[in-house]
Amino acid sequence: MLGLTWVRGAITRRFGRFLATAGGVAIAVALLASIGTFLAGSKATMTRRAVQNVSVDWQVEAQPGADPAKVLAGVSSRTTSALPVEFAKTPGLQATTGASTQSTGPGVVVGLPVSYSRTFPGVIRNLVGAPLGVLIAQQTAANLHVAPGDTVMIGRAGLAPTRVRIDGVVDVPQADSFFQKVGAPIGAQAHAPPDNVVFLPAATWHARFDRLAASRPDQVTMQVHARLSHALPGDPAAAYTRVTGSARSLEVLLAGAGLVGDNLGSTLAAARSDGLYAQVVFLFLGVPGAVLAGLLTAAVAASGADRRRREQALLRTRGATTTTLVRLSLLEAAVVGAIGALVGLGAAALVGTWAFGTASFGATTGAAIVWAVSAAAVGFGIAGLAVAVPAWRDARALTVVGARRVVGRARAPRWLRFGLDLLLLAGSALVFRLTSRNGYQLVLAPEGTPAISVSYWALAGPALLWSGAGLLAWRVAYLVLGSGRSFARRLARPFSGRLASTVGATMRRQRRLLAGALVLVALTTAFAASTAVFNSTYRAQAEIDARLTNGNDVTVTEPPGSNVGPAASAKLAAVAGVKSVEPLQHRYAYVGADLQDMFGVRTSTIVGATKLQDAYFKGGTARALMARLGREPNGVLVSAETVKDFQLQPGDTLRLRLQNGRTKQLTEVPFRYIGVATEFPTAPRDSFMLANASYIAQKTGSDAVGAFLIDTGGSSPAAVAANIRRQVGTTASVTDISKTRKLIGTSLTAVDLSGLTRVELGFALALAAAATGLVLALGFAERRRTFAIATALGAKPRQLGGFVWSEAAFVTAGGLAAGALTGWVLAEMLVKVLTGVFDPPPAALSVPWGYLAVVAGVAIAAVLVAGMMTIRRAQRAPVTVLRDL
Amino acid sequence: MTNAEPLVRCEQVARTYGSGRSAVVALHGLSCEIGAGEQIAIMGPSGSGKSTLLHLIAGLDTPTAGTVSWPALGERATLRPGPIALVLQGPSLLPPLDVTENVALPLVLGGVDPSEATERARDALDRFDLLGVGDKLPEELSGGQAQRVAIARALAQRPQLLLADEPTGQLDHTTGAVVIDVLLEAAAALGAALVISTHDPDIGERLVRRWTVSDGRLTVPADPDAAEAESCSA
Repeated sequence: MLGLTWVRGAITRRFGRFLATAGGVAIAVALLASIGTFLAGSKATMTRRAVQNVSVDWQVEAQPGADPAKVLAGVSSRTTSALPVEFAKTPGLQATTGASTQSTGPGVVVGLPVSYSRTFPGVIRNLVGAPLGVLIAQQTAANLHVAPGDTVMIGRAGLAPTRVRIDGVVDVPQADSFFQKVGAPIGAQAHAPPDNVVFLPAATWHARFDRLAASRPDQVTMQVHARLSHALPGDPAAAYTRVTGSARSLEVLLAGAGLVGDNLGSTLAAARSDGLYAQVVFLFLGVPGAVLAGLLTAAVAASGADRRRREQALLRTRGATTTTLVRLSLLEAAVVGAIGALVGLGAAALVGTWAFGTASFGATTGAAIVWAVSAAAVGFGIAGLAVAVPAWRDARALTVVGARRVVGRARAPRWLRFGLDLLLLAGSALVFRLTSRNGYQLVLAPEGTPAISVSYWALAGPALLWSGAGLLAWRVAYLVLGSGRSFARRLARPFSGRLASTVGATMRRQRRLLAGALVLVALTTAFAASTAVFNSTYRAQAEIDARLTNGNDVTVTEPPGSNVGPAASAKLAAVAGVKSVEPLQHRYAYVGADLQDMFGVRTSTIVGATKLQDAYFKGGTARALMARLGREPNGVLVSAETVKDFQLQPGDTLRLRLQNGRTKQLTEVPFRYIGVATEFPTAPRDSFMLANASYIAQKTGSDAVGAFLIDTGGSSPAAVAANIRRQVGTTASVTDISKTRKLIGTSLTAVDLSGLTRVELGFALALAAAATGLVLALGFAERRRTFAIATALGAKPRQLGGFVWSEAAFVTAGGLAAGALTGWVLAEMLVKVLTGVFDPPPAALSVPWGYLAVVAGVAIAAVLVAGMMTIRRAQRAPVTVLRDL
Repeated sequence: MTNAEPLVRCEQVARTYGSGRSAVVALHGLSCEIGAGEQIAIMGPSGSGKSTLLHLIAGLDTPTAGTVSWPALGERATLRPGPIALVLQGPSLLPPLDVTENVALPLVLGGVDPSEATERARDALDRFDLLGVGDKLPEELSGGQAQRVAIARALAQRPQLLLADEPTGQLDHTTGAVVIDVLLEAAAALGAALVISTHDPDIGERLVRRWTVSDGRLTVPADPDAAEAESCSA
């Protein structure tokens, strides 16, 4: 009964504070539940995208001597659909068009069942002509100058060539995995898929190649292409474990007759480490927000501590024991926790619907319940810590005299004397340094092993920095205010004029309170700033990643062997929507026995045309190195790996072998090593080289361009790509960046962080408003009697403003400054520690000034509202306040 | 303004808190005057309306009916800090300020130079033998000390009218008697009028005039000097 009366009284008499405390709990619960929704949702998205990106889940290759029918039966028994696919090697293809005859080097002839394209729709993309029948790869068609209707001769080892009539020209988007060497380790895979490919209907293939299979079984192979059930767990790690386990089980069943090329497993292997990275991002970005909401709740509850002590003293005088007082506070905490949890979960459901398109807190019902219960439990925990624990502590030490205490002589807390803040910062630096030693490898996912692990230890660096910086801000604020009367007076003078001395004294004596409020503002600002900078940098890098992969807004890639020169740029530049065209040579060069991609660049224009980043190079900026390539045409930039493998020193001569454009023979060309290139548009991730295009053209007798990189200058890349496709037809492949953004695989950058960004930045704004306006308003409200007395003594609104604005300015300006500094250092550390999330790693932080200005604006507006309300209330009814309190 | 003008004049003053059914009438229309140098005790039980009347006289509150004017003192806006000083009921020192700063505060609010205000505050404290606690915080004082500091703060303003709302309400009898001594002496020294609200008849006995407030109605007995009866009740 007493409990109900107490809670009813707490709600009605302290409605604002009660609401604010429950609001703090609600923010923490909503933030955690929302991020849980994001995490579960994004993991499921990763799995779904990984699965979608795989055209053929398994390629099971029948081993020499095995019975193909048995392999097919075995695979069929474990999968939802399985079809046999035959591969035959050909020494070359030949076609005669008009008066000329073209020949190619070795190639592959694939036999496909009629239902193949229906069962595996993403494998072969029809470009022109019929979608079924005899199909020829686009590049092969370009090499042979053939089109549908033309005839091609297919060479067969030891047999006469066979003649086929082309029905259609196709593209094989995932040629690497389609033509993989099944069972070979990654390093032993072919450098590139075959240049020359012809697809035949299975019946035709058997009619033309069964004899070859009989006479030269080494020239043919048979695979079973299979699709698995895609009802996989949402978590990519669990999906990976299931798929790879099934693959191993199938190999056991086949007893050596077949080897599984597990395309789905390989893709999920990448996705599972991305899943863990998403989890780590959640920990880095989400947990501080929840901790902050907890601190704010505690601050809100603490701002009513004096009144609570007075109420407890009154209860004591009426016979209440410590147990009774503790029970009452626990009941109050439970009600606060329950309301906060309910409101928080409701808000999270709304936020989830708005930001992630789902109101569920998890991928499955079970996960949703776990997330909701966990978030609510955290809410109850915060309520208990903020409401019940201080009340319990006070109840134990309560005396009536103590209950009257409001300010007290400020004594330095023990942690300050022991230098805990400095120790935490030193610990942060140490952990960061130790983490940097392994190149910030947070997620360890060894290939082929089901176990993956996260180095959560690295989380300690930012966590220690955050808490150490908060305590350091407290120390500085405390020491600044306590350093002497004159300093506090000077701080107060701009707002309080003649009252500066009095206001300064007030601030000096309340420096613990003010330092606490300043720390809350600082931590909130740091949270908002670091989150915003991280997210902004992440978005910028995702864009750079897409640009690196595609080359530019639109890229026109010429087929190998093409002789299209840079002059073709003019034609492309005339297409509607094209702003500029940058020709880029693409050759292959031997460095010793190692074949590497070599790109020839136009040094005067390449930097601006492709937005080259300094981070792509070592040994100079992008502009400086390109300028040097211009001055020293025989210069070459190589990969760091090449430098290491060949022990190169700047200025060393590299003798590379490149194909001569006229003789088609390899020619030795001398280059001078001048720097390192780590990334370059359209270049592979491993080793490649950059050189001056004019020099390559002069030495190889060919200025053939590999790709034209097109800047659309703001026009829709997809629309411009369509225009260009109409012009170039099937003679070149045209890709645009909007498609590439979606196709960069399962990497984390492909996961849409925008929902999380919106949620976190929204919460950061709410927290900023609460940390400034709410905390100050409640602090002032707790001192209503002080302001009422001052009004009774004759203080005018301007003079009351002196007290209010001096404190508000100190807390807000100090908090924002400390928060900005902490946020910047924290963002630097987060970006470094989470290097694995970024691809490529950023050269500099991307700062969202607009959002940060909004945060500062919201904080200042909240302070202004809180201050003006305080002054108005103090003026309006001092008598009522004096009578009530 | 002449010497004959009263310091305060209340005409048909009423004060009602709230509205409608929940309205509480604290004071019914009453009229009265306070002259210079008068010593008046406003007597009555708790909740009778004594504090409300004092707040209206101090210009801290406004009546819902009737008028309060200060013919010899000036406009409401210039009353505090200035010719009227108020000793509030209960703890009234500002917790974050030490004793000297508390006493100096109304002076600084009134535009006195801070260093001069500090000097005057020290003088006032000295007069009450409180100089030794000048740098203490309110929480470090006993109840009696705190109330004496509040009186010193009021007197440091050198008011013409000193209002004290239940100044001994939270003090023991002996300490309360000392506080009343201090108030009477200080008011006499300044030549200020003194109005004390109290429910203690012993305190009432020590002042020249005794008004009674009961259920929001004021009864002013006959002035013994003027020998004329005057009733201010509505």
